[in-house]
Parts: sequence; structure tokens; C-alpha cells
Amino acid sequence: MRNRNATAYRFLAPYLLIFSVFWVWPIISSFMISFQATRTVPWRFAPGFNWGRLIGDPAFFNALKNTLLILVIQVPVMIALAMVMAVLLNSPLLKARGLYRFAFFAPVVVGEVAYSAVFRLMFSLDFGIVNKLLNSIGLPKIDWFSNVTPAMALIMIAVTWRWAGYNAIILLAGMQSIPEDVYEAATLDRVSKLKQFFHITLPLLKPVIVFCLVLSIIGTMQLFTEPFLITERGGPGGGTETLGLLLYRQGFRSLNFGYASAVAYTMAALAIAITLVQLWLTREKQ
Amino acid sequence: MRITLSCAALALVLGSAPAFAQSGEITIWSWNVAASSLKATVAGFNKLHPDIKVTVQDLGNQPTYDKSIAGCAAGGVGLPDIVTIENGEAENYWSQFPDCFVDLHTLGYTAEDQKKFPDFKRTELEVGDKAYAMPWDSGPVAAFYRRDFYEKAGVDPASIKTWDDFIAAGKKIQAANPGVSMTNADFNGDTEFFRMISNEQGCAYFAEDGQSITVSEPKCVDALTKVKEMKDAGIVSSADWGTKITNNTAGTVATQVYGGWYEGTIRTESAGENGKWGVYLMPSLTSDGPRAANLGGSSLAITSASKNKEAAYEYLKYTLGTNEGQITMLKEFGLVPSLVSALNDPYVSQGLPYWGGQAVWKDILGTLPKVVPSRGTQFQSDAEIIVRAVQTKYLAGGYPDAKAALDDAAKQIAAATGLPVKS
Repeated sequence: MRNRNATAYRFLAPYLLIFSVFWVWPIISSFMISFQATRTVPWRFAPGFNWGRLIGDPAFFNALKNTLLILVIQVPVMIALAMVMAVLLNSPLLKARGLYRFAFFAPVVVGEVAYSAVFRLMFSLDFGIVNKLLNSIGLPKIDWFSNVTPAMALIMIAVTWRWAGYNAIILLAGMQSIPEDVYEAATLDRVSKLKQFFHITLPLLKPVIVFCLVLSIIGTMQLFTEPFLITERGGPGGGTETLGLLLYRQGFRSLNFGYASAVAYTMAALAIAITLVQLWLTREKQ
Repeated sequence: MRITLSCAALALVLGSAPAFAQSGEITIWSWNVAASSLKATVAGFNKLHPDIKVTVQDLGNQPTYDKSIAGCAAGGVGLPDIVTIENGEAENYWSQFPDCFVDLHTLGYTAEDQKKFPDFKRTELEVGDKAYAMPWDSGPVAAFYRRDFYEKAGVDPASIKTWDDFIAAGKKIQAANPGVSMTNADFNGDTEFFRMISNEQGCAYFAEDGQSITVSEPKCVDALTKVKEMKDAGIVSSADWGTKITNNTAGTVATQVYGGWYEGTIRTESAGENGKWGVYLMPSLTSDGPRAANLGGSSLAITSASKNKEAAYEYLKYTLGTNEGQITMLKEFGLVPSLVSALNDPYVSQGLPYWGGQAVWKDILGTLPKVVPSRGTQFQSDAEIIVRAVQTKYLAGGYPDAKAALDDAAKQIAAATGLPVKS
């Protein structure tokens, strides 16, 4: 038995080596760095330096607030939208279904950098098509990039555009796995279509919805590209700075690795906490 | 120590070798017109050193910093031979990565060579007895304006002495030229107006010795107050670097206030507007103000990872250390030499056709002696991001006044850097 284990470990050795060098070590190392004052060379051990700053740092709470704001507003709106799209896609009246499915899914295939550049152009103050449209229906132009609220709205619009279709396709797959005879029985009992949706589709789709929520929440916690590229590194003045951007800025622009590590550990703790809450809320009732 | 000695020995050996023996390839990272101007000097350089192949890569301003810092953090992996470093951010490199760049003294940069550049350009580049970079250009601030828009509104640029004059003129110009904004500011990702006006008033984020925070001093408060007055008066529309250029070309902006290096950007990017642009001195807060400030300006440093340090140094010596190199960059792309002797070149006092015959460099460079140094310190990028956030909040009405805004900024910078606020 022992011999067999040894053989197994010998086969695993290359992987374990890489795993410990590129995963385990950085995790330990960044934990230790988070207790060091890294503003000046040489670094010195000072536990309160980064963690003390974190507790009272407005920039950290600003990034946390922005991340949670996107979590609370953008994710539910997007899932609801995805649900509507999925229902429409599922309708037997729909022609050219394949084309629509492709169209809804296409944004995910587009490169992030390319779509960010296009969004910047579309929402440009003087030359963007969005402001031209607003003007043509008598609304004033919006300075999307220089005010906090529109900038945040812009990030949410962009992320929703990119991921709503993706979620719709997942939800659609879930809907199609619900047996047809359940609906048939309901129709015979003269249950309206709307009631069928709320009392049959939604409850049976719950695991799929939870799956979509988990994916979206993880995605939001890691949100980086859109505020980096579309609103120019979390601008205006940190108005769209997410935790990921704060970490990047502290680590690689201000070269404050200690503080960046502390932020990283806080993000990880937060992700674990949110996941636990989610698991608890969606647990199967016995 | 052994490394320093061997470097010095190497320098001695190479110093005695004839210069034409240099050969090899060097790569430089830079951005926008700065990159273009480096390319412009290659031809002249190759006349002296035909065997050195120079490649200039235009990465863009922020990516150059990001990639260079990442390269230094990785012990020099992937770095080119020469990196462009903005003076304001320079100390961040030396303080965190003292071994990432070569001390130019080991390549033959002498005290006499150093004296050819003004002190205010060198403070950030030299630490102790080491010189990490050679000064390149500076950014004396000027107002670049569209003659036709001003004339149509009957505004004489010579009458604009204060920012209040500027606001009044802006209202007239916008009324006479529908669809045109008086000026542009990057309210999304910069604080250029606040920094220019503060510097003109002699106020900076940090004290000159870099040991305390001065961003909440009265002169800075006045500067930020004026920025909000300008925005509230409706004469500033927001535009980032690229949109400013689009506006220049599309004729939707009447004035751009920027460092002298913007001359080349307007002239080359908006070549079709030949003869329509002019220059006047930046306004001040008071009618007897200095009307001189500096914004930006860079230097070139040689990486320790470079395999061709001597060739790279030859390039620096030619491009930054000779009038020929510096004036080529001024002529082609408007980069203001910090090499003092280059300022006496006849080109500087010439009228330039693009600017309607105006001798713009005489006007812009005339302000240089009045420029107050503004030290970036190694905490510049931290402070900048905080001031940016505070400016955004203040402009949106989030503080009762500019004093409260900058007190908050000073408090946050103190928390981020550990430096005291000067009281």
C-alpha cells in the first residue's frame, strides 16, 4: 500500500512542485508581505502599517462601495434581463432562433479591449452616438466620463451588455430541460402563462439561476477590465475604482506591495464570506 | 561593491576606446510626440554612429510607466535599453528599485555634463552621488489658442492676464462661436489645471525637501477654487488626451492650456489648421502674477538589464546633450530642451509659419526663469490619485469649499505616505 502511494506521489511530483512554487509560495509570501512596511527600501516588519491603514483608508472603502454597488445593482438587473431574453428565445413563435441565440451570445466572444474602445467612442461627450441620440430626442448631453454617477452607470451598462446574453443562454438551456408535460397539465387546469412562469419555470430553474448568480458575483468581485479601459483606470477620481483596480494601483503603480497584499487578502476573505452566505441562503431545505 | 568596481573598470576601458567602435542595437520606450521626436534624432545620430541601430517603441504614457515598473519588479526582465521617465514619477523608480537603472557616472557622465542642465530638472534624477537619468525636456505652460475664434468674438488675447479675464473671454468666445468650448480639461483622469495654477502660484503637493505635505496651503486652495469657478462658468468641457486632439482638429475648442511640449502635438496632429493657432502666456490669479509654470517634462534612463549600455549612453549624449539633438526635437515635435545652451539656438527666436509667423518659442521659453520647481517625490502617484478623487468630489459639490477639500486630500496623503501635513 505504502509503495503504491509512493508511486502515485512520484507521478504527482511535477505538478506538486509547480503548484507549490506558483501557488502555495505566493500565497504565503504575500501574507508575510502584508505585514511589512514596503514604502521604502529596505522593507521592515510593521504589522500595523498596512492593516492599520486599510481600516481607515477612504480609497479602500470607496473601492469596496463601488464593487458592492455593482454587485447589488448590476447583477440582479442583468439576471432579470437574461431571464426575459431566455423566455423570449424559448417562445415557439420565434423565427430564426439560431440567429438570435448567436446574436445574444456574440458579446462574450468579442475581445474585452476592442469592446471597451468601442464603448468609449459611443459614449464620448461631443462625438459619441449615445449623446447624439439623447440630443435628437431633446435630452441634454451626458458627460459620461467626468461625473461619478454616469461613469458608474456606463460600467454597469457595458458589463450587462457583455454578459446578459451569456446568462440568457444558460437559463435557456435550463428552461428547455423542464419537462413539457408539467406545462401541459397546468394549461389543462387553465393556469395563465404568467402564473406558469412564476410557479413552474422559476422554482424549477432555481439551481440554474443560482449558478448564474455565483458566476456573476465572482465576475464582479474580479471586475477590472471595464473600469480600467472604459473609464480610464477607475476614473473620474476613483469614481469607478473597484477592489481589483485598487490592488493593481497600490501594487504596480505606487509600488506599495505590502498594502496591495493586505487588500488582496481582504478581497479573498470577502469572497469567502459572500460565498458562505450564498450557500446558506440557497441550501436545500430538508 | 565588486559590481560597481567592475563597472567602473569597464567604463575606463570603454572611455579610452574610440567612440566609432560602438555598434549593436538599442531599444527605447516612450510615448506620443516624445517617441516621435526620438525617432527624428536617429538620422543625425546614425551619421556619427552608423553601426548602432536605434528602435523607438511608442507604448503610450501610462503603459510605459506600468511596463517599466513591472520590468524593474521582475529584476529587469523584458526591459528595453532606455526608458522614458517623467520627472514627477522618477523618484518612485529609484526609491523602490535602486538597481534597475545604471548610474550614468559609470558610463562617463561627468559633473561638467550635469551642469549643462538646470538644477530644477536634476533634483529628482540624482540621489546622493548617483545620477540615474539625463534630463530631456521641460514643460513651460502656455495657452494655445485659435486666432479665428478669438477674433470673431472680438477678444484680444493680450488682454487676458488673469483667469477671471479668461472666464469672461470664454463666455464671449462661446457666444460668438456656437459649438465651441473655451477650453478642455481632463476631469476623468487628470488634474492638469489644478497642478498648473498651483505651480504658477508656487504651491505643490509636497514641500521642496519632500518631507511634508503642502497641498492644503492657501495658494493651492486658491488654485482649486479657480478650477471650480471655471467649470461652473461653463467654459470648460471635459476631454481626455485623445479627445482634446479630436477637438483641436474638429474646431470645437478655442484654447488649450498645457506644457510647451503641446506645441508639437497641435502642429503635427492638426496640420490642416495651419496659421489658425497662436500662443499667449498662461493667465494668473492676479494681474501681477508670474504667469509661468511647468507641467510635465521627462528624462531618459538606461536600464541595468541593457546589453548595450555604452551604445545607449552614446545615444543619450547625442540626443539630450547636444544642441543638434535637442533642436531637432524642438523643431520637429516641439519638445522644450532642458539643455541650457540649446535655448540660445537661432531657431528659438524665429517666427514659425504654422503659428501665423509668431515666434512662439521666444514667448514660451521666456517664462522658464520664473518657473518654481515642484518636486514629485516617490509618493507622487499616490498623492495624484487622491487629489484626483478629491477634485472630482469637490467639482460635484461634495465639499463646502476648496479648503475643506484639500484638507481632506492632505489628510489622506498623510495616511498613505506617513508624511506630516505642513501646518
